[in-house]
Amino acid sequence: MKHSYSSADESRLLRDVIRSLLLHRVWFFIGMQDVKRRYRRSFIGPLWILLNLGVYVGAIGFVYGVMFGQDLKAFLPYLMLGFVTWGLISASMVDAGTVFISAEGYIKQFSYPKQIYILRAIVSSSMNFAMGLAAVAVLQIVLGTFEFTGWLLAIPGIVLLYMALLGQTTIFSYLGVAFRDLPHALAGVLQVVFYLTPIVFPISVLKSHNLEFVYLINPIYHLIDVVRHPILTASLAPLSSYGFVFGYVLIVYCIAWYVASRLDKKVVFLL
Amino acid sequence: MTQNFIRLKNVGVRFTGNMNSDGLIGWLARKRSGEPASGAYAVEALKDVTIAIEQGERVGLIGLNGAGKSTLLKVMAGIYMPTSGIAETEGHVCPMFEFATGFEMHQSGRDNIRIRGLLLGMTPDEIEAKLPEIEDFTELGEFLAYPVRTYSAGMFIRLAFAVSTSINPEILLIDEVMGAGDIRFAEKAKRRMFEFMEQGKILVFSSHNFDLLKSFCARTIWLEKGRIIMDGETEKVIAKYRSSQK
Repeated sequence: MKHSYSSADESRLLRDVIRSLLLHRVWFFIGMQDVKRRYRRSFIGPLWILLNLGVYVGAIGFVYGVMFGQDLKAFLPYLMLGFVTWGLISASMVDAGTVFISAEGYIKQFSYPKQIYILRAIVSSSMNFAMGLAAVAVLQIVLGTFEFTGWLLAIPGIVLLYMALLGQTTIFSYLGVAFRDLPHALAGVLQVVFYLTPIVFPISVLKSHNLEFVYLINPIYHLIDVVRHPILTASLAPLSSYGFVFGYVLIVYCIAWYVASRLDKKVVFLL
Repeated sequence: MTQNFIRLKNVGVRFTGNMNSDGLIGWLARKRSGEPASGAYAVEALKDVTIAIEQGERVGLIGLNGAGKSTLLKVMAGIYMPTSGIAETEGHVCPMFEFATGFEMHQSGRDNIRIRGLLLGMTPDEIEAKLPEIEDFTELGEFLAYPVRTYSAGMFIRLAFAVSTSINPEILLIDEVMGAGDIRFAEKAKRRMFEFMEQGKILVFSSHNFDLLKSFCARTIWLEKGRIIMDGETEKVIAKYRSSQK
């Protein structure tokens, strides 16, 4: 196990990234510990995720469903799935800002590459996502709309979504160390994006007012839709959505690489 | 079997920062005006350091506070990146730098042992196998089931020390960690530390204790203001260092 660190070594970052991915036992374990910690000493534990989700979907679902004249049988799973996926995406931006800050004690005394803390954050937000998806499946079964093919067809979308998440979390975890106000600013911006993204309302509302562009240019809409569309309709999302997401992933990776190569060495000094 | 080594060539570490951390707005303003920020500082923690340490060597580091000993150890551990020059290590590095940080406050002592073990390079099986022995050494008993935020400073040290010294080190880097805990534990820790230091294929440690340096290291490096003042036989280096401090 040879390690070489030089002031001008472009491949070090790449080696660190690969090494981090191989250290899956480490980041998976710490990520799962984070999940465990979140619900320690709470009576119903991770079931809180389901309970909150149920209350949210119940309340918003009925009101908005009636407001927009939706069939509740289709609208409730739509809302729930959109909301669960949104939660994962927003965690990869807002929560990512504190990834390195909360791992300060580790980064300053252990020699593993710091990208393992990025992966750890994805593990813990994924647990919420997995619980949410399970809840959607249960809801679908209750409503009699569950289609196994739909879930299978969602796999390419989920893979693309995770590729994007990895890039986004990387960008915001580095930027979060350098610019401490970023998570706060981002939380505000994301709130706006949430209301502009078809999550609590169907796209037909935007269509009927000639506002299609609002979601067509919104990468988060496409990220959600490549997962949501297949699960709800048992058919693949429009090909254009996959294309859009793929392009988005490429751009995000370029930015992530740029940000990481500029800041990677500085992180430990900025903590 | 590969030979372990640490080789630094013309390594420099320069910290830059800003006292008035002004965040995003300030950064944008500076980018536009091109002026350096007020309160900006730069510290040269290491300057042009060249060292080669080969398998089997035990090296001591001496120098006043702020001389760059910890920075040098952190460069060797791959925690600080050199801002100039090249640092290379071959072998699994085991850093023992801080025993008071890097805990998950809300998790039990036992879970913290597991996390630290993983971060130090143990596999989950190894950790589980060594867990009883580690727990025993900490003497924390039932406290191991409690969240570590209930621990006292000494208890943190016991826990971290027990985990760190239970691994099989190749390159062992130690920063001033002797004398951990209360009197009884300190004695026990010292014995264990000595055993542990014997195991490392390479040992580099900083200390202000000359006797300790003399008994462990044939070679000692004296740092001052980020530069190597002297690198050679421990007796000679310590003698020179002592006379310079009078």
